[in-house]
Amino acid sequence: MMKVGVDVGGTFTDLVFLADGRLWTHKVLSTPVDPAGAVLQGIAQEALAEESYQIVHGSTVATNGLLEGKGARVALITTAGFEDLLEIGRQDRPRLYDFMVDRPPVLVPRALRFGIRERVDCRGRVLEPLEDDGVTSILSDLASVGVESIAICLLHCYANPSHEARVLKRALPLGIPVSASHRILPEYREYERCVATVVNAYVSPLMERYLGRLEEAVGKGRLRIMQSNGGSISAAVARQEAVRTILSGPAGGVVGATAVARDAGCDKVITFDMGGTSTDVALVDGDLRVTTEAEVGGLPLRIPLLDIHTVGSGGGSLVWIDEGGALRVGPQSAGADPGPVCYGRGEQITVTDAHLTLGRLDPDRFLGGKMRLDLERVGAVMAAFARQVGMDPLRLAEGVVTVANATMEKAIRVISVERGHDPREFCLVSFGGAGGLHACALAQSLSMPRVLIPPHAGLLSAYGMLVADVVKDYAKTLLRSTVSTSFEELQAVVSLLKEQGFREMKDEGLDEESITTEAALDMRYLGQSYELRVPCEQDFLSRFHDLHRKSYGYANPARETEIVTVRLRVKGGVEKPPLATVEEGSADPGTACVGERRVFLDDEWVTAPVFAREALRAGNRCAGPALVVEMSATTFLAPGWEGTVDRRGNLVLTRGGPR
Amino acid sequence: MTPSTDPIKLEVFKNLFASVAEEMGVALCRTGHSANIKERRDYSCAIFDGRGEMIAQAAHIPVHLGSMPLAVKAAMEGRPMSRGDTIILNDPYRGGTHLPDLTLISPVFGEDTSSPLFFVANRAHHADVGGMAPGSMGVATEIFQEGIRLPPVTLVKGGDLNRDVFDLLLANVRTPEEREGDLEAQLAANETGRRRLLEIVARSGAAETRRYTEELKAYAERMTREAIRRIPEGCYRFEDYLDDDGVTAEPIRIAVAVTVKGGQAVVDFSGTSPQVAGSVNAVYAVTLSAVFYVFRCLVDFDIPSNAGCMVPLTVIAPEGSVVNARPPAAVAGGNVETSQRIVDVLLGALAQALPDRIPAASAGTMSNLVIGGTDRERGRPFAYYETIAGGMGARPTRDGVDAVQTHMTNTRNTPIEALEHAYPLRVLRYEIRRGSGGRGRHRGGDGIRRDVELLTDAAVGLLADRRRFRPYGLQGGESGQGGESILISPGGERPLNSKFQLRARAGEIISIRTPGGGGYGRAEGHA
Repeated sequence: MMKVGVDVGGTFTDLVFLADGRLWTHKVLSTPVDPAGAVLQGIAQEALAEESYQIVHGSTVATNGLLEGKGARVALITTAGFEDLLEIGRQDRPRLYDFMVDRPPVLVPRALRFGIRERVDCRGRVLEPLEDDGVTSILSDLASVGVESIAICLLHCYANPSHEARVLKRALPLGIPVSASHRILPEYREYERCVATVVNAYVSPLMERYLGRLEEAVGKGRLRIMQSNGGSISAAVARQEAVRTILSGPAGGVVGATAVARDAGCDKVITFDMGGTSTDVALVDGDLRVTTEAEVGGLPLRIPLLDIHTVGSGGGSLVWIDEGGALRVGPQSAGADPGPVCYGRGEQITVTDAHLTLGRLDPDRFLGGKMRLDLERVGAVMAAFARQVGMDPLRLAEGVVTVANATMEKAIRVISVERGHDPREFCLVSFGGAGGLHACALAQSLSMPRVLIPPHAGLLSAYGMLVADVVKDYAKTLLRSTVSTSFEELQAVVSLLKEQGFREMKDEGLDEESITTEAALDMRYLGQSYELRVPCEQDFLSRFHDLHRKSYGYANPARETEIVTVRLRVKGGVEKPPLATVEEGSADPGTACVGERRVFLDDEWVTAPVFAREALRAGNRCAGPALVVEMSATTFLAPGWEGTVDRRGNLVLTRGGPR
Repeated sequence: MTPSTDPIKLEVFKNLFASVAEEMGVALCRTGHSANIKERRDYSCAIFDGRGEMIAQAAHIPVHLGSMPLAVKAAMEGRPMSRGDTIILNDPYRGGTHLPDLTLISPVFGEDTSSPLFFVANRAHHADVGGMAPGSMGVATEIFQEGIRLPPVTLVKGGDLNRDVFDLLLANVRTPEEREGDLEAQLAANETGRRRLLEIVARSGAAETRRYTEELKAYAERMTREAIRRIPEGCYRFEDYLDDDGVTAEPIRIAVAVTVKGGQAVVDFSGTSPQVAGSVNAVYAVTLSAVFYVFRCLVDFDIPSNAGCMVPLTVIAPEGSVVNARPPAAVAGGNVETSQRIVDVLLGALAQALPDRIPAASAGTMSNLVIGGTDRERGRPFAYYETIAGGMGARPTRDGVDAVQTHMTNTRNTPIEALEHAYPLRVLRYEIRRGSGGRGRHRGGDGIRRDVELLTDAAVGLLADRRRFRPYGLQGGESGQGGESILISPGGERPLNSKFQLRARAGEIISIRTPGGGGYGRAEGHA
């Protein structure tokens, strides 16, 4: 059976095909107004003749719908007295020192939030039974106000979902999507659970329409969608639980980068995807790590997401001097229009312009030579700006790169140091157009020993979709002291989750043999309100104390602990096609050298060779300073770094090469 | 800017120091035990240079802002500090703000330095530090009733915990286990800061690092001066009142005269009421924080919160007044209530100079609710503390936000599902108090109604304000509605004062309704 991985980007839609162990790629222009168009076109050109094929797809439909405020008209049903939960949030404001601060938009207007008489306590005991007449009257109201989607979030439903389940059952006949919080996020903390449920209700109809159109064209049962947790789900599930695809695209990149790095012998990876306007970084420690603390568009999304941290800084970030005389880079970006100064229209210096000034971009080989960068224009604008600041233009350009690096470094610190990981143990995997220009400097300042730059960065994400396992996460909030909970009881909870997991995996068409599970416990000291995750095994208690000590420097085995949530990750393995290999060569890159450029380094101009990426052979070595250019990206090999091409065509940069 | 200041290094060091303070905050939040730290995030972290001048503070809680430097100063004066030491304090008259805020200060020595290169400090609000009422925020008349009082004392000596101090402290609080966990977290936060600062020194060298601490202070000073220059020169006066001190019914006046001239501002609180018997007395540190906050909001850019921001500001607070209390005045409410009113009067004064930038008054009270007693089901004592948000004042160009923390605080709520799990309490309503915002061209934000039922007999205390003197509107906008507190019993409803302490029975309901913000501009049809 043929498999197709598809990544829909802003400019290109990338497709990776796999059949009979062979891998090949295809690229078509994206069709932003109707993203399905490009996907269908790309598939039509290669694959429709195939008897049977499956598509794994990264979709930005949910993300864009949420960020652009274009989701469905949602009604929320909640416990009476708590209709404003969504609006009050956690009471805090996003910025401290700003009189004009506002909250992120509330996705359900006041008139569409309905309270219902019922109450369950924190142990799941029913204090006030659900009032069926109330449900009836709300549902008849809903029918008359014309909503497109319904969210249900009742207090303490993680402890006892029976009331929610009854409302859900009553609402289904209305024929519109219904999202119930005990299904979407069965965990305590009502606001966060409510947000996840409402976001799901908000984006699911968009997903429904989009997937409907795709399925109509390719046939039912062939589509799988990349989730934010790094695994894929069937289109049928994605239509109902679209919130799980909110980081679909970036997740594909992380999965692809991780697979490529693992193939090259690196299990501990920090991915670094620097584009024009923003940069995504993520950390993978052996396994893909998920967080349940992510924020998207200012809203907390507690569903499991790959821990991808985004900063608003990229190649197109604008450079300016603030009133106090500090050099700032971003967060405003030149975007595609007007673009950096060197593209011919922008008037304000960007990070890309600084690289060009320093000789780290080859103006004649940008985008494979399709676009010539205007060096003179940059020279004039940079000189004028430097005069205004009272600096030498070259020093200024170096400074721009330094400040951009500082922002990137901070982003990597957030996902590594702040989460208790030492970046020195990790390999930096850089992809995205601008990443290769910063990778050496970043690795150097974080003392990371190795950088991996895979070939065909644009296709990495599509490849990631292809090799992503089917992954489903299940959880049940317990909130119980370990004193009164035996390991056997925990295993019983896990079995219940497993039953559900296996059933749903079979619905996804997976064989029982290919399914694996991992059970974990979110634990804390009694009275804490933040949890650590440990494997659900006999020695879970001592593991918790050890992890607490490792993470925070202290532990107290005498203190009572509690289990907040039992989690189960169910994974259905998929075939991992081997990556293509490149032709062997000698250590000397010889003919791949296509020219030289003068590069400004440490107060002087030095000559650096320029290599064409596609001409490099396995075994080739090049010493910094050097440039490696390819269609959509340039890598700057800093002095003191050596680049080696491995059998897959990855550029592996290490420190300590000959100077 | 000195001719040799490097704009690049300035920006790089700004990021570096800011991330140290932020990482300290992450460490504290992750390791803290109480809902107050983890869920509500009632803490702040900051770093200081070797002279005790603040270099950076993470954007946590504004009321801690201006006051942290005084804590470090008091620690430096109080105790000689050696390598591996940590000082603890909460005495409002020696570097603190109010007793529940415990501050930990640690010096950071280089490998071979004999004096500290830096200090790191963090402050966290503990749910109970002893005293006459659970939660330590009761209607006291002397500081001795408000809890255990710690002048700067050594909590950690040369890396070893001083068990004597620790045990003495824990013996004086209602929930010692939780306190112990939170203090461990505070120690972990300072350790994170220390390690990170030494990494920076190792990377950039001590001389360069020291130089940029100075440059960053000068930078923040320049930015603040620029902001002050944009205020038309002149003297602007305003006054407003706290309803009462919880002991007598006497209103308490806060008066201010802000004189702006030549890129400097003199903020003079002469004419403010003398200190009072109840706990709404603010110590000088709190007043400084409020002034600092208001001017910090006038700077449009993201600048480091450091000692430089204070240089263009002069604060005159008459000694023995409610904005500069002397011992043994009770002060728990000064930090949370009076600080908000100080902001209100400052904004009222500045609105005359900057009518297009200053918002109408926000709720002006943190509505501090404390419930404590013994939880029979769980077999342990409990102390629950919460601040309840209110309406934001309308802005010159748009409505105020509903149900949001404003000005001197930004703590989150405790999720209802977390609260009911941890305490013998049940929340019956948590909703926006519709129509409580003042009318105007732009409407003031609405307050909140939060009803909490007791499942056990307990002591209940409230420190709130803005019942009589309501949040003012501006430029013709109407005042926001005042707050209300009501005890709902099976026998009926009983209105309560804004500040009270009472014993309530299981089954009774405390209903708190917080004020709405003031409106801005004349409402249509009300000309």
